[in-house]
Amino acid sequence: MEMIYLILVLFLGGAVLTWLLGKISPIIRDILFISSVIIPTVLFFMNVEVGHDVSFQVLGYKLSWGISYLAYLFSYIVLGLGSLASVYAVAAMKGKKNLGFFYSNFILSIMSMMGILLSRDLISFFIFWEIMTWSSYLMVVFRGKDVQKVGIKYFVFSAIGAYAMLMAIVIVNSLTNSLLISDLVSSFGSFSLSMKWLIPLLLLIGFAVKSAMMPLHVWAPGAYSNSPMAFTSMFSGALSKMGVYGMIIVMVSLVSYIPNGFWLKETIAWLGGITAVGGTLWAVAQDDAKKLLAYSSVAQLGYIIVGIGIGTPLAMLSALFMAVMHAIFKGNLFLVVGAIERQTGTSNLTEVSGLIRKMPWTFISALFSIIALAGIPPLGGFVGKWMLYESLIGSNHYLLVIVVFFSSTAAFLYSYKFLFGFFLGQEEKEWSHIKEAPAMMVVPMMILAVATFVLGTFPGLVLNPIDNGLQELGFASTQGRYWEMSALFNEWGNQVMLQPLVYAIIAVFLFFAAFLTIKGFKHTRYVTTKDISSSGEVPKEHENLTFSQNFFQPFLRAVEPFMKRRIDTYYSGIGNGLEAIFDFTRRIYTGNGQTYALYAVIFIVVLLMFKNALFGL
Amino acid sequence: MELILNILGAIATIVLAFTVGMSYGGIVRKITARVHNRMGPPWYQNFIDAFKLAGKTTAINHGIMQHFGPAFIMVSSIVSLMIVPVLNGGGWFENLNFGGDLIFLLYIMVFGPLGMALGAGQTGNPNSAIGITRGLSQMVGFEIPWVMALVALMVQFDTTSIVDIMRIQNESGTWMMFSSPFAFIAAVMAMLGMFRYSPFDIVGAPTELASGPVSENGGKYLLTMMSSGSIFAFVKLTLYVDLFMGGADNLIILVLKTFALYMIPVLYGIVSPRYRTEQSIRFFWGWPTFFGLLAILYAVFV
Repeated sequence: MEMIYLILVLFLGGAVLTWLLGKISPIIRDILFISSVIIPTVLFFMNVEVGHDVSFQVLGYKLSWGISYLAYLFSYIVLGLGSLASVYAVAAMKGKKNLGFFYSNFILSIMSMMGILLSRDLISFFIFWEIMTWSSYLMVVFRGKDVQKVGIKYFVFSAIGAYAMLMAIVIVNSLTNSLLISDLVSSFGSFSLSMKWLIPLLLLIGFAVKSAMMPLHVWAPGAYSNSPMAFTSMFSGALSKMGVYGMIIVMVSLVSYIPNGFWLKETIAWLGGITAVGGTLWAVAQDDAKKLLAYSSVAQLGYIIVGIGIGTPLAMLSALFMAVMHAIFKGNLFLVVGAIERQTGTSNLTEVSGLIRKMPWTFISALFSIIALAGIPPLGGFVGKWMLYESLIGSNHYLLVIVVFFSSTAAFLYSYKFLFGFFLGQEEKEWSHIKEAPAMMVVPMMILAVATFVLGTFPGLVLNPIDNGLQELGFASTQGRYWEMSALFNEWGNQVMLQPLVYAIIAVFLFFAAFLTIKGFKHTRYVTTKDISSSGEVPKEHENLTFSQNFFQPFLRAVEPFMKRRIDTYYSGIGNGLEAIFDFTRRIYTGNGQTYALYAVIFIVVLLMFKNALFGL
Repeated sequence: MELILNILGAIATIVLAFTVGMSYGGIVRKITARVHNRMGPPWYQNFIDAFKLAGKTTAINHGIMQHFGPAFIMVSSIVSLMIVPVLNGGGWFENLNFGGDLIFLLYIMVFGPLGMALGAGQTGNPNSAIGITRGLSQMVGFEIPWVMALVALMVQFDTTSIVDIMRIQNESGTWMMFSSPFAFIAAVMAMLGMFRYSPFDIVGAPTELASGPVSENGGKYLLTMMSSGSIFAFVKLTLYVDLFMGGADNLIILVLKTFALYMIPVLYGIVSPRYRTEQSIRFFWGWPTFFGLLAILYAVFV
């Protein structure tokens, strides 16, 4: 059997079997779930090669599946994060109700994402896109909380995106009489000017919804925080990247050929920058870790969109590298929140505190991810940030670089809030019984944490497949010009040599860590966090010294004017307005026979009055 | 052999930075005292403090992150010291000047506050955490004009390398503070916040927060933080000299230039009251940012 079919069939069959046979025994269900994620993953990476494709006819249309270099890069994200998250999910969701449904949706969403990456024609792309939306929608409402508010919002925005995309597909089909993406790209130059603008815009609306770009982002915070964390890791890490994948193809293969398409690119880049700032500021204001990470995801995707919008080779490198890094660190952070929520029962930063000694491994993986998120060297997040700044400065976007820099500096605030809220600060009695999460949850988190470190020293490991993808899109090779295995260059030839820097950092760190700890543990005794000097007084046991309310109040006061306007309120306004119109329409049907008779009389009178104009008599 | 020489050079740089930074700290204490009409400690008081702290034994700890926090800060100070060129032409102090550029430097410089934040966080002292949140907020404030000034320089000379910017100044014979004055003004205003003297000293706020982040640290921990602070002050001053005042050809000129520059935040601070956090953030987003914008416009159009 053709390997691509086999992989999709395995996913689909796995989803169905996990649901059906899962009713027999939980162990069978768990084994089926993990194996139906891992087996197709292994098969995919062993047997599917780039360039290989299969095609078949449906109703006279040629459909085609295969994998490109760019899609191969994204399949690392989907399948790598998918496998780790699935192992994690089994331990994290243990004992929850309705698990067969959860697992099969999980597998379906991985299948749909692989389907999107494998599709080479628009119609299977659209079908897999809809499966992805549906399966993630069911995950958002899985816990049955806020279905009205969050679920419907996600659904409405996804529907807007999907209809826009469908419209574009229909237009393309009527113009080219083919559904293959390659035909669209090759004949795009011959379309009329209005079509050249309309088709990319419609497609971009569809992709922008999934990648949560301003002003289509309002569904994201609720949807990310409402689904189970094991899935949110995929949701924010991999699913949102499908929007990025689509956007890259549209921006490079279509928008570049629009006359004056430059302005569209600028607009997209600025929207990305505004998304980044807005997401960051709102993340700082959140007290719930899930919401905080959700807004932070919106902001991080903003950076990626900036990179795509700028569109120079260095910017594309940075966007794709940040996409991979975001999958790793944000996927990991959602797993961390899931672990904490499982152990303590809450994810509120103002309630939990001082877990560092209880959950040390979770802390380490959170620390690595946070450093990567903040873009601090020597971890991988820095590489993407560096390339983004260099590309912005190199392509004369001086104000945008300030905007992006502001957002990424303000990101330190919520990064620290996350770490401090959960792990540092006062150790309270309420949480003294907490144990580390089970190994099946900790190991995937640690693997992701190590990945951030490795990619910080050897970014070439990821930049190489990215480079292949870019060459496929028509860019010249960037290796040697912008990057080596562990060195980065900008357009003016300035460089960052990562290896000597990383070794220097490690050497200095080890030296001082040894200097501070070598006697530290033998000769000192551990004391509780109550045993501190608080303005010269020793606080009593019952005194509450936890600092978690209004954490960044001074900062929020300073940025208050920026945060007054929310796009959400405008959408609610539109929603209320529509409801009022519908309500008015409903009133026409009074249920009273005499009113209906009056309508008929009025209708006839109007007809008679305007008969000359209407019938020309 | 070359590796050993490099390591020796690095150690020499660290010793230099430590000595100069500590002496400056002592001199500032003296100057502040004289302005306040006090006698003040001798200029070498900081060295005495350092020796005293090194000799102390520590009795208690609050956990591993408290140990690693100061080490993180040291990483930030020393690695940025390795990146910033000390003298024109490198010489003994070349270190890793080739390895990183301005944007790398910007990011490695915030590694320290993060380490400080983590170390202080584990002690559980609420004053530390409050100090940290204020410090981070204020950092968001002054980074904006600072980055604007740097972007203006990068744009003007098409480079992000500090060595290149120094070379350009030496070739043209004018200092950057004259050839791009607005960038210099914005950068100096940002520098007021960077050194955390009044009116921007709410982070440590000695009487209110019990020195904030560093409370709960004594002995070797405080020594590490103190020496890191001194090295970091030297790094920042040298960076300003490199970027705006044409670098220095020898150590004496370097000391003169850095000292002159250092007096700006110190003397401004001595006579200033204290801003609240949001006031200081708004200060940095006011005039300094305006000058930053002017600097970028100047770099693009002139």
